[in-house]
Formats: sequence, structure tokens, C-alpha cells
Amino acid sequence: MGMQKELQAAIKAILPEVDCVIGWGSGPDPLHGAPLFMRSEDDANRFASGFFAVNNPALFLPEYKGKKVAVVVKGCDARSVGQLLSEGLIKREEVSLIGFPCQGVVDHDKVAAALGEKGEMGEVTAVLEEGDALVLTLRGETVRLNKADVTAEKCMRCQYPNAHIADTFVGEKREPVATADDFADLAVFEAMSLEERQAFWEKEMSRCIRCYACRNACPLCVCRDHCVATSRDPSWLTQADSVKDKLFFQVIHATHLAGRCTGCGECQRACPVGIPVLLLKRSLARSVEKLFAYRAGIDEGTPPLLTFTLEEPTIKERSW
Amino acid sequence: MATLRYLPLAQVPQWLDGLAKSYTVFAPAREGSAVVYRPRAEGSMPELTARPTESAKHVVFPRAHELFSFTYKADPAVVGKRDLTLTQPQDPTPTVVFGALSCDARGFFAFDPVYDGCGTKGLAKDVYYLKRRQNTALVVLACRTALATCFCNWTGGSPASREGADVLATLVNDGLVMEALTPKGEELVSGLAEAGAEQGAAAEASHTAAEATMAPVPGAPLDPKAIADAVLARFDDATFWQAESAGCLACGACTYLCPTCYCFNITDESNGISGVRLRSWDTCMASLFTLEASGHNPRTAKANRLKNRVGHKFSYYPSLHGGRFSCCGCGRCIKSCPSSVDIRRIVQNALAAANVKE
Amino acid sequence: MATNTAAAPQRPSCDASTPNPYMPYLATVVEVIDETPNIKTFRVVLQDADAMKSFTFQPGQVGQLSVFGFGESTFVINSPPTRMDYLQFSVMRTGENTQALHNVAAGDTIGVRGPLGNSFPYESMKGKDIVFVGGGIGMAPLRTLLLFMLDNRKDYGKISLLYGARSPQDMAFSYELPEWLGRDDLDCVLTIDREAEGWQHKVGLIPNVLLEMAPSANNCVAITCGPPIMIKFTLQALEKLGFAPEQIVTTLEKRMKCGIGICGRCNIGDKYVCVDGPVFTLAELKEIPNEL
Repeated sequence: MGMQKELQAAIKAILPEVDCVIGWGSGPDPLHGAPLFMRSEDDANRFASGFFAVNNPALFLPEYKGKKVAVVVKGCDARSVGQLLSEGLIKREEVSLIGFPCQGVVDHDKVAAALGEKGEMGEVTAVLEEGDALVLTLRGETVRLNKADVTAEKCMRCQYPNAHIADTFVGEKREPVATADDFADLAVFEAMSLEERQAFWEKEMSRCIRCYACRNACPLCVCRDHCVATSRDPSWLTQADSVKDKLFFQVIHATHLAGRCTGCGECQRACPVGIPVLLLKRSLARSVEKLFAYRAGIDEGTPPLLTFTLEEPTIKERSW
Repeated sequence: MATLRYLPLAQVPQWLDGLAKSYTVFAPAREGSAVVYRPRAEGSMPELTARPTESAKHVVFPRAHELFSFTYKADPAVVGKRDLTLTQPQDPTPTVVFGALSCDARGFFAFDPVYDGCGTKGLAKDVYYLKRRQNTALVVLACRTALATCFCNWTGGSPASREGADVLATLVNDGLVMEALTPKGEELVSGLAEAGAEQGAAAEASHTAAEATMAPVPGAPLDPKAIADAVLARFDDATFWQAESAGCLACGACTYLCPTCYCFNITDESNGISGVRLRSWDTCMASLFTLEASGHNPRTAKANRLKNRVGHKFSYYPSLHGGRFSCCGCGRCIKSCPSSVDIRRIVQNALAAANVKE
Repeated sequence: MATNTAAAPQRPSCDASTPNPYMPYLATVVEVIDETPNIKTFRVVLQDADAMKSFTFQPGQVGQLSVFGFGESTFVINSPPTRMDYLQFSVMRTGENTQALHNVAAGDTIGVRGPLGNSFPYESMKGKDIVFVGGGIGMAPLRTLLLFMLDNRKDYGKISLLYGARSPQDMAFSYELPEWLGRDDLDCVLTIDREAEGWQHKVGLIPNVLLEMAPSANNCVAITCGPPIMIKFTLQALEKLGFAPEQIVTTLEKRMKCGIGICGRCNIGDKYVCVDGPVFTLAELKEIPNEL
């Protein structure tokens, strides 16, 4: 029985106990999955795990407060669930987690870049997974891509491919891809001068359309309908189409996620114009990991920036 | 049919540089993983392969623009009295969008009646929109293929539709066949050499080939009235909208990429003694969009908001504007939705539900 | 490719003579009246004398008031078109812009856009008895029609007013009430929610007092405005009294920005409250989707 079938069996087994099971189904084209909310065996038959199951289903959990739901989680999704639990944003007894050994997910921007002049993603009519390769059919021809070349960055540095909290775990746990996060993505960025970084952000943010998909795709955004981005009372940002305001919002969002962001990358994936907004959060995550020895969503206890201790064990400012 | 003209690809930058002497020229540019319409940099070659992520609507309907500015000035004659002046912005300059898609050009038809006083209803005319609209020429680049998310044929469009375009440009081999469709379009291309018969035939063949890649309209011929009725019939069906919106993030990606979504906000942005009244894009997917002064909100749940978005496009708008959908089928809302919410599926599910009930 | 040859709609245009519907008139606040702890009334005169002279509106139409730097909000013009010395607006403090309005003093300049929206169908009410039922700030839209009818008194039959507020202090237009109570061509009943010292009038919730008053539905139109919960029960009371949906008129509140049917937020189905409303008969409301 393949992973897909095993997961479907696990989903069907838990269906009678829950309001719904959140997982993935197919999207509008063969390269895209979509969140799937399963309430029946028929729904469960439409469940599709694998390389295209990119969405983080933890995002939806707070909407189901007061109801019992099950959720199928990749390792990174489980981290988000972990963080939601530590912050009391969801209740443990209301959520049942189905884990599995995640083999990584696609990065659509990489696929688009790999296809280049051969065509657009929307022209792909069929996708086959053959071992380490993806075989795409478009314009009547086949294009072979190495999965490794079109895998999401977060998967390339994944330390937690097996949901670390799971009520049901389907399949054999796999070896992590990496043992530590070297934040190599930040090194590339930080090699730039401050002026270059400023210019980088100004250029990137200038195409922001302020749809706030980054914010709404974030499982840990708690302000939701009361965001300073659009609030007039307080009025912190103008509605002008200005890079300054757009970048200001990203900084607020990232700061609000310091020590909370688990690096699921949904903000960046959701951005329709491909702005690398995860960078800001990664930088803060590294600082928090260094300063407080805390990995959001993994380490238990109150997140360090949601509490106060006279002396942080890793900072030791009294013995300086 | 107007004279067909031909512009070799290698001469595109030069030709656009020439246009830039009399017009502000917008063209698709690749930035990161996105393709966006930008004021064109001199000498640059527009992106002609990948289709723009966003629509060209912001050229005519900017993401934010000034309705007027205001300035308070102390009256030297009377202590504490301040004089107030309102100043309207300058009129827009003539503009050309090179490389708009046929769906972009048709998208403006959804704006037009609303911003032009709703026809016989005789409502106010939106002068800011109308000035930009009449000042903007559209050079449409015919699509050579359909994407999985394309459904312009549901809304009366086609990959190489001439509707709303001033010039239709078709990529053939190593150049663009340019067909002027309006006097304004003729003015733009009149300096170009005539196309040969072969090039004209290649353009025609490209249109036919593109058409062949469109997925057929399900259940064709499509009945717009049946769709409008079916969507409206689901109004009180909360379960339907909860299911359709389950994966929706309630972000504004769909509305802001949409060529036909025209809703906006008005805010004052002030430094105390001067400032501007700004019109900026707004989205019906946001809770704040309908929050009333009393605190009451008729659309608190994302299900209600998605219902309004779909209802507006396929039922309310058509009932006010001659049966036309306020959707041009560009599919950007599907293609760029972080959750792959598919508006076609919602419409089809509403139709299916209507058929079950009757 | 049949769609390509179909006649495309004409591209619209405008010229220098097309008025800009977003430009407010500048207006001088000539008087500010403290109505209740959270309601103030503003009497304004357009600074352009010609504009003031040619300003016409129908009872029930609204205007947008601007405090530049804060924003614009919609309020009914609650003075009647028969009294054009000034335009009157009453503003309940609820948010950023209404707070800014409450800070405005006599002599200050504000912006006015209008008139906007539809109006009370007063022509079709001629020859009929009229019952006004107003709650709190909901008295404002009724005031314009009430005064208009009193100024054209012979056109209407019996006119009754039931006006309620939470307490005597919450009763706007208190300075006009003695005149209204004293008129013999107006049957004026006041009520407050709970007993208060010195209160000479009714005590009780508006729908209950209305049932007590029991106006005859025969050849009568009821016009009601107030908070949503009061409207809900008042409509029930009116129906109980035999009023048909066609005989009941009310006004709706929605978040509005443009006020001219474009910006897209005040719709209920295909009706836009800013241009198709704010005045609706209950019969009309029953025809549109339930999204109040």
C-alpha cells in the first residue's frame, strides 16, 4: 500500500470522530494541489499527498475552534501546530494529527524558471513522478526535471521531515535532510552592503500589490481582521502605493513573528509577485535561536518573547 | 480589415523608445518570479513569453492615486482661523500599454459602465478613471496558447480577441504582426512597414492554433442567465459558501490581480497641515470592507465575502449591466491563489446545485 | 471566431465640463448644537453663495461630510428642503471621522458632498395618514421628512410621531420637542427605555409603545428609523398592526465611501444602498437578498 493509500485509510479511520479532516487534494492543474476539507469517504478518496501538497493546513485550525478536527501534517506543518499549541491558539484535545515521512514539496517558482522558454506552468497537461525526476507534458512534448532542482528551499534544509507531534504516524520515519539550519540563504543576503540591502528591498517591495496574502497565509498571524495595515484607528500606515509603507508592514509582520515563525514559508509562497518576504523572518528566527536557544514550534514551553525572565539562561547579562 | 504591419522583434525596443517620446509606455517586465507591467526602461525588451502575473488595470486605475490635495494655511488677519485650499491633480498624460493581454483589454469593459454613470441610470461619472481610460491605448499581444486556468471563452473572449484593443500584435517567428483596430491604434503603428501576405497568414494561423488550445466551455453553449440565477439561488445556502470558501485565505490576491475588480477605498492621508484624499484599491475579501460605524458587519465570515465576490461577478453585475459578467476569464485569480480556489468550480457547483433543486 | 467580430462596447470618455463627483463643496459651520453626550448637530452653509442658492435636495437624501485629514462619512441632511438657511447634519460619535467632526467648532470649514442617494417617496404619501417611529439618532432622517410635511401640512392626513431614546439625556432635538408636543396638527409621543426623574412622558420600548398607540393601518404609511434591533421589533409590531410591507418605509445603514455607486461596499445583491437607497419600503427589502 503506497503512502497515499495508507494516509487515506488513516483519514477514513478518524472521519467518524471529527468535524473534518484537513489535508490536500488536487488543484486547477497537475502541478498544483489545494487544501482539502474532508467530511466523507468520497472526500477522503480525493486526498492527494506528495510533492504538490504544499499548503500548510495548520493555517485553518484556529477557524475550527470548538470543533474536533484532524489534520494531515508534513513535518513543517506540525511545527506550526506545535507553535499554535504553545501559544494557546488551539486546543490539543480538539486537534488530531496524522503525520507521515515527508519527502519534500515543490517550489513553483523553480518549476517556472526550469521550464523557461519551453512554456508556462499552466500549459503542463500531465505530470509523472519517476524516482528523482518529474516528467512534465506540455505543448505535446515531455520535459524531465530533477525533483531536487525544483524542491522548496525549506525542504533542502529540513531537520524535521517526520511530524514531531502526531497522534497517528503513517509509514516509516525518514532521516532528516539536515541536522542543523546553516541559514545559508541569509549569508547570501548579508554579503550585501546596507545600501545594497535597502536598494534590494525597495526594488522587491515596489511590485507589492498589498493583497496581504503573505499575512493571511501565515498560520501564526493572530490579528487577522484587525491588522494595522488597513486599520485607520490606529492609523500607522498610509494607503499610498509607497514602498516605504509596504516595507514598513513587512517589518511589523516579521517583528510580530519573531520567536514565533516556524519557517513554513507560506508567506513567501503565497506572494503572487514572488517577493522573498521569508528572509526577514528567517533573520529574526536565527536571532531568537541564538539568543534564547528556542526553535519555534519544536521546543515546548512558553515562547521566549511571550514572557519575561529576569535572566535568560543563554544571555547572562549579569555576568558580563 | 486594416493594413497589417510588421515589426521585427529586434526592432521592438527601438520602436517603443520612439513611442515613449509622445506617450508613457507600460510593458511587461520580468521581476523575480513575476511578470509585471512597468513604465518601460529605455532600450529594454518587454517580456513576451511568460504571461503577466498581474493585469494591466493599474495603468488606468492606479493602486492608489490622489483625488485632491488639501492645505490649511493660517489666516494672518484672524487669529486661530485657517484657510483651506483644495487642489485637483493634473490630468494624466497619454499612455500606451504594450503587451496587454486580450483579457486585460476586455476587462476594462467591466469598469466602463460603472465608472461612466451606469448608462441610463445617469449616475455620477468618475472623471479620474474616464480621463485615464481615454488617454490609454492598448497594444494587445495575442496569446499563443491557453493555460489550464484560462477561461476567457466562458465570457465571450478568445486568446486573440480584438475586443477593446487599439492594436492587436501577434508574435510570428521573428517579429510582430501589428493590426490597428482603432484610429488611435493606426496612429501608433502607421510608421511600420507593411506585413507580407505570409506574415499575415502566419498571424491568422497563430490565432486559430491558440483557439484550439482553449478547453471547451463546459455544457456549451453557456447560458449567462442560468448562471446568474444559479449563483443568486445559493444566497441563503450557508453550507455551500462555507464549503467553497473553506480553503480561502480571505486575502486580496484574487481581487488585486483581477482585470475587472474595481472596488476602492477612500482615505485621507495627512501630516496635519496638508495632505491628500487618496483613492486606493480595496477588496471585498477583507472584513473591514463592510464594517459599519455601529460595529455591525454584514460580511464577517469569509464565506459571506467570497459569496459577494462571486455573486457580484456572475449575478449582481450582469443584472445591472446587460447580462455581461464582470469577469473576463483571465484565470489569474485561480493561477495566483495561494489555496487554488477555483472560481469556475464555484460557478459550476452553483449550477449543479440549481439543477438538483429543480 | 465569432466573438471577435461582435460589436465591442464603446470606450467611454469625459471632457472638461464633466463635474468631478469627488470634489466636496467647502462649507462653513455656522452653528454646533450639543444634542446628547455623543451626538452633535452641525448647521452648515456652502461657502460658494451660488452653490448654496442652487443646492436642491429631497427629504431623505444624504451628504458626505469631510474633515480634511480625517476622512468622509455619510449623514442624512436632516433639515427639510423647505428651510434652506443652512443644511443640518447630526453626527453620533463612533469613530475616527465622527470624532474629528465633534472637534469642529462654529466658524470652521468642512467639506460637503451631496445630495446623494434616493429620498422618501413623499409624493405617494400625499393624502395619507403618516406614522413616524424614530429611535435615537434614527430620528435624524425622520426629522427632515416630518418638517417637510409640516411645512406642506395640507397635503397629508393625520401625522403621528413616536420618538424614543434610552434616556432623556439621549434625546436629540430636545429643544424642538415642546413645539412638536404643542402642535395640534401633530400627535407626538415620547418614550424612554427606563424610568427617569422628572420624565413626563411614556416609559417603555418603542415597539411596545407603538402597539399601545395602535395607529390604524388604513390609508396610512409608517416610516421608521433607528438601531437595527429596534427596527427589527418595530417592523414586527407594524405588521401586527396590519401594516402591509408596501406601507412601511425605512432607511438602511451601510459602510460607504464613494456615495455614487462605484466603490462597491454598500451593495446588497445588485442594490447599492448609496444610490438605490438609503430609503426602502419593507416590500422592497423583502425582494433583495438577506444581507443586512
